[in-house]
Amino acid sequence: MSDKLKSIGFALILCLVCSFMLTAASTRLKPYQTLNIRTDRKKNILKAIGLIDRGKGYDVETIDRMYAKHIFKFTVDKTGTITDKQTKSQTEHDDALPLYLAIDKENKIRSYIIPIETRGLWGKIYGYMALKKDGSTIDGFTVYKHSETPGLGGEIENSWFQKNFVGKKIVDANNNFVSISIAKGKASDQIDKNHLPNYVDGISGATLTGSYLTRGLQKILSEYEPISLRFRQDILQCRMQKDIPWCENEKEK
Amino acid sequence: MKKKNSALAVFLQPIWSENPINIQMLGICSALAVTVQLKTAFVMALSMTFVLSCSSFIISLLRKQIPKNIRIIVELSVISTFVILTDEFLRAFLYDISKQLSVFVGLIITNCIVMGRAESFALSNPPHLSFIDGLGNGAGYGSVLILVAFLRELLGAGKLFGIQVVPDFVYSSGYENSGFMLLAPAAFIIIGMLVWLQKVLTKGK
Repeated sequence: MSDKLKSIGFALILCLVCSFMLTAASTRLKPYQTLNIRTDRKKNILKAIGLIDRGKGYDVETIDRMYAKHIFKFTVDKTGTITDKQTKSQTEHDDALPLYLAIDKENKIRSYIIPIETRGLWGKIYGYMALKKDGSTIDGFTVYKHSETPGLGGEIENSWFQKNFVGKKIVDANNNFVSISIAKGKASDQIDKNHLPNYVDGISGATLTGSYLTRGLQKILSEYEPISLRFRQDILQCRMQKDIPWCENEKEK
Repeated sequence: MKKKNSALAVFLQPIWSENPINIQMLGICSALAVTVQLKTAFVMALSMTFVLSCSSFIISLLRKQIPKNIRIIVELSVISTFVILTDEFLRAFLYDISKQLSVFVGLIITNCIVMGRAESFALSNPPHLSFIDGLGNGAGYGSVLILVAFLRELLGAGKLFGIQVVPDFVYSSGYENSGFMLLAPAAFIIIGMLVWLQKVLTKGK
């Protein structure tokens, strides 16, 4: 009996000590970790528009500065009209979509960036897709969080996969929306020439991750299609951006 | 003097004659996964050494108090505490590397080397020796990891620590990186060859 009691007592004390240490570490390190995660997201947005090199280290200040200079975030509704941030939180539009605008060095719109959040094989896949201001060409694609199998589906976070997206189209030859799909294996072996701009090479051993991602991108891109359409029709220019500084500059000119 | 000698032996044995990967065939799973690049292999080796030596030390300190019937659970809780601590630290200060290592830091818990050392060494030896034993095994594991990663990164990507080392003129004269080196089977083959090499070398003695 006393042996049992001793075991239980020992286990209890051990648990207490361990959990105390872990809690302490977790609370103390939390601010650093959240900062890392936030910087990582900003970095991925910048990566999606090709402003920073993949695989190169950047410090937090550089990322912050570049982000502040080149990226503007706001919310749009399903028709592609900008919605006021304050009213959004009060009325809670279900159809409010977050959107990022990227501007280049000459203060012109370079591309718009859509946050990607879709189902993968084992969990959600989070990332960004940047589309050029023509509303049809992909400027870049990044994944910053996923739980796919390392080495298989996990390859979606690697640059060889993400680079395949650059320059692909989300529209067909007649400018109709078709989204972008991930092929099984090499796209050029499977898909005929006319559809090749809408397909990227798949990852061998990760067919399911690919098809979930294809479906997710299809869904998200079609939600954003009104916005893409407006970009395509080139009518968006300053209507969406009336409260953004560079637009006023443009008017003054 | 005698004590010093045995401490040295405890440290050196797992590096060569009792190497956890090459001789004991433990911890191969993570050795396949994190050896594509030197940087990740290096961080993994350090994390592993940290977890191994600290947990061995603590377990050895408690070895007279740990009730025999729950000792495996006690060992596991100590080990996992250190693993989680390591993971949290990497996430706070080496975020990019921790993303690349993904699940493998967490999986140090299930690495047979850690449990194995706790069971077979720390439970029956004093703390300072257990700590050194942990260091030695970490170094043994790490040296294989770093060697494999060196070969894979050099042959697979032409880089070391992410810096291009194979010059351009070699590529222009027809040399190509071997993509196979970046895949897990390549690690298998390299480790197999290392095991073979070591067997041959030790046999000669």
